[in-house]
Amino acid sequence: MILVVLDHDTTRLRKGALEAVSRARQLAALGAIAGLVVGENTSAVAEEARKYVPTVYTAEVGGYTPERWAAAAYAAAQKSGAQVVVAPSSRQSRTWTARLALKMGAALLEDTLETATDGSKITATRYSFLNRVTEKQAASLPVVFTAKPNTTPVAEPQGDGMIEALTVEQPAAQVEVLERMSEQKKGVSLSEATVVVTGGRGLGSPEAFAGVEALANSLGGAVGATRAVVDAGWRPYGEQVGQTGKTVQPSAYIALAVSGAVQHQAGMNKSKYIVAVNKDAEAPIFKVADYGIVGDVHQVLPAMLEAAKKLKD
Amino acid sequence: MVALKSHNMDDPEDWHKASPYKMKGWEMKFIAILRQVPENEARLKVEGGKVGLNGVTMVLDGMDEWGVEEVIRLKEAHGGEAVVVALGPERSEEAIRTALAMGADRAVHLVSEGYIDPITQAQTLAETVLEEAPTLVFTGGQQADWDSQALGPALAEALGWPSVTWTTKVELEGQTHAKAKHDLDEGQEIVRVSLPAVFTSQQGLNEPRYPTLPGIMKAKKKEIRKIPLSVSSKVEVLEQTIQERSRLNKVIDGTKDPVAAANELVKLLHEEAKVI
Repeated sequence: MILVVLDHDTTRLRKGALEAVSRARQLAALGAIAGLVVGENTSAVAEEARKYVPTVYTAEVGGYTPERWAAAAYAAAQKSGAQVVVAPSSRQSRTWTARLALKMGAALLEDTLETATDGSKITATRYSFLNRVTEKQAASLPVVFTAKPNTTPVAEPQGDGMIEALTVEQPAAQVEVLERMSEQKKGVSLSEATVVVTGGRGLGSPEAFAGVEALANSLGGAVGATRAVVDAGWRPYGEQVGQTGKTVQPSAYIALAVSGAVQHQAGMNKSKYIVAVNKDAEAPIFKVADYGIVGDVHQVLPAMLEAAKKLKD
Repeated sequence: MVALKSHNMDDPEDWHKASPYKMKGWEMKFIAILRQVPENEARLKVEGGKVGLNGVTMVLDGMDEWGVEEVIRLKEAHGGEAVVVALGPERSEEAIRTALAMGADRAVHLVSEGYIDPITQAQTLAETVLEEAPTLVFTGGQQADWDSQALGPALAEALGWPSVTWTTKVELEGQTHAKAKHDLDEGQEIVRVSLPAVFTSQQGLNEPRYPTLPGIMKAKKKEIRKIPLSVSSKVEVLEQTIQERSRLNKVIDGTKDPVAAANELVKLLHEEAKVI
């Protein structure tokens, strides 16, 4: 039996949940699939979920804490007899799956790109060493793994499952949330964007990001920022690409006035095409760039924007 | 934003000033878990299907360094002890010495060669942490060799403690609670957490100090308790490869005619790469 923990926004399943269902279906040798919808207002999401998996467990445990999610997933794994638990990868899931692995005495395979089984083991590929190395791992069952976003086709609906509510013993509350500052943005999310336009410190001022935003908008992409820009307070942390920010893998990554330190490359080096504009021909970013311009970003960017607008017309 | 007493949220120095607990003689203990990893700029090579670390400069993990700095600051503000704990091969001692030179008081080194997965490491480290009975523990938010985020939360689970990941600020509230600010997937949160607890580090937590020469001299005399280990990993690393995408490196000189360069670049992206 395989358990998929289905990520949702309290009204709908997220894309990652449907990718995780696909991952579970690839492991058919290990038996049937059950889904778990955990959180608040799980019933609407469960109705959607039963179109994808034959059994849907719901666990009404309230708002997210890693302890609650781990306890709910553990209860569902015990109830279903699952030897494998799959969840879409995020900072949040990489916290509670670590706890779940301990509860289950399971091995943990984090942020996997691909997964397969021979019936007794799970093998997986993933990145390591700041995204520079591709590594193949293997672990005997039981196994908990997270699936990196945008690595797997989303599952198609299949069948008409049943819903079963679980009673989960609530762990003692050890963490009290005093305040949440969300950075929900309009437009394309950075992690899912096919084009990312990133500005670096070399832009010179927060105002110069108006041009970065305009180029991103005209290409249907998202804005990224370097750590130096975020540290300077020019852009919100949610836009940071790199080791301590987000990891992105768009079709086109356009780096404007970004020098390209290793920590930054860790967040974007798997992009299909890397484009760089920098006045320093020796900047490390050019070593990993497919296309580039050595020149002043303040002159190049407006001209790129003009040319991009003409393409659309 | 919730007012955090009279502290200035934007000033990390202010965060640890003038603790009332220091005066009352409560003995606190702060632990940082650390690992030794290749230097960020190190050129990695694969030998026999695995990343070979011979000849690679190894350093204290940058994210662990934030944890080490934080436990030293907590000790300086509240008294007690700052202890570092490492699980790793013999060579990790260099990273331990760096932490001791920064100002940690002593170290425990669980010596084990070869790869051990983070979950198994957390279970093993939990025994040492339990024995030390600290006020709180810091680990790095993500390790630069494993690219794993599991060590902190798994350690907390093994201990039955709460965890706060991607922490950018911590303030003690007596010996029983701490207030912390941390990053989520999108946005941030301020939480109150019961102690003992495990925190994982994030950029912005602090600016680590450089070891001073007297610090380095003192570190040579500080205690490193060595405990030999033999534990087996739950995860096997079968093969490692470095698949650096070969890049086209088509660079246009835009110093003379930036507009023409921009037009050519957009044309290449549209017609050749077909990505816009």
